Amino acid sequence: MKLTTDQFPEPGEETREREKPSSEWRVVGASVCGTSHQKNQQMCQDAHDWEILPEGILVAAIADGAGSASMGKIGAIVASSVAVKSICLQELTLQQLDSDDQVRWLLTNALLTAKIAVEEEALASSKQPRDLASTLIILIATPSLAAAAQIGDGAVVAKDTEGNLITLTKPQSGEYINETTFLISPDALDTAQVNLWRQPVANVAALTDGLQMLALDMAVGVPYKPFFSPLFEFATRQTDQSAAVEQLVTFLRSERVAQRTDDDLTLLLAGRITPASSEARAI
Amino acid sequence: MSDTLRLDEAVEFAENPEPRCPCVLLLDTSGSMQGMALNALNEGLQSFKNDLIQNSLASRRVEVAIVTFDSNVNVVQDFVTADLFSPPTLTAQGLTNMGSGINKALDLVQERKAKYRNNGIAYYRPWIFMITDGEPQGESDQVVEQAAQRVKDDEANKRVAFFSVGVDNANMARLSELAVRTPLKLQGLNFTEMFVWLSASMSAVSHSKVDEQVALPPIGWGSV
Repeated sequence: MKLTTDQFPEPGEETREREKPSSEWRVVGASVCGTSHQKNQQMCQDAHDWEILPEGILVAAIADGAGSASMGKIGAIVASSVAVKSICLQELTLQQLDSDDQVRWLLTNALLTAKIAVEEEALASSKQPRDLASTLIILIATPSLAAAAQIGDGAVVAKDTEGNLITLTKPQSGEYINETTFLISPDALDTAQVNLWRQPVANVAALTDGLQMLALDMAVGVPYKPFFSPLFEFATRQTDQSAAVEQLVTFLRSERVAQRTDDDLTLLLAGRITPASSEARAI
Repeated sequence: MSDTLRLDEAVEFAENPEPRCPCVLLLDTSGSMQGMALNALNEGLQSFKNDLIQNSLASRRVEVAIVTFDSNVNVVQDFVTADLFSPPTLTAQGLTNMGSGINKALDLVQERKAKYRNNGIAYYRPWIFMITDGEPQGESDQVVEQAAQRVKDDEANKRVAFFSVGVDNANMARLSELAVRTPLKLQGLNFTEMFVWLSASMSAVSHSKVDEQVALPPIGWGSV
């Protein structure tokens, strides 16, 4: 994995070819309740949100409410939706995203805005912020960039047009598997992972901790290709959004998945459709 | 629907090792344990194993080690997952080298964690569960002091959770100086119930998710 800054133009070098605006993302995301929560009649504590902006900019966020937080679900919803909204409000252009600093600022600012929103929600509900504790992962993807910020567990995986897979952000747990950092933790922003990958991006995925044992080789922290390849292909090929979501939900609830994890699961998949790739397919 | 079937069949899962939940049983096998106490303890170990393997996840995640202390300190059982644990039949003799026993158990936990880390295995906070019917005997105060200080430091840094249980005429006051957590007094020789509780507690821990405060089952076998 190489996170480079050398692929974007020097100041003054403004003539770089942009991707055609007709390029688009196909996105499918689902959050389902884990079997252990079903047993205890708890609701799914995960949430996700996403938006496609002009010029083929995808913004997405997922969050996993803490099991110990009485309003973890609310915290996760507020965190993920406010994070996406905060970036959408910036009226982004692809050109702005040429600057690594700008991308980092966007992501960090979205984390901060989400954190403040969760704290305000806690106040409004006469609760403590820890009652709304959740992880938060934010993702920005363009035809030539994948960038992510993450607090706590879960992961973001990206694939370039050559088929190379990387983990953009990795599970961030404490020493023990049952402890992690949350958005409302005092050191959350200082310990957040913020990473950029400048490559021709084909796919991105974000997942919460319930899936990480299935999706990553945990010892080395790399994506497990046989997990992502079929899912990415599915995300790129799907043409009916609601049917695709249903299929993803069915998959996440399948017996095979349930045998391996009893946690809540969120998986958000995106695939980029470009005129170039359809031409290539035609040849 | 064909796509659903395809997803279900096409997606393969990474094989990662189960997270581990290490538990050291630190057992007093000094001469005074001889007889009914030791027999009850041996039976209790059997119940511990039998109960743990009832839970398929716990049987793969909970790792048991046994350290005994008398005039010597012995690692009777190095860490092994519950499904592979075969409880030993312990014998009792000699003095009570409790301080050395505690040091050994803490060393064992530290080594195990290093092994987990080197192999990319996730883990829960280790437990040390000490059972004694006496007090440190036959070793220098310095060794006992050092052990007590290590327990204190390791508890403060969340390196381990150290529990102690007194049997019969155990010196409860001395035990509470050694451990941070209040020692419990076993009712009679109710080891079986105690080990069933320990098994249920380890199962709860080994199922716990990120940031879950693990609620331990109520203790029916002992008192503060």
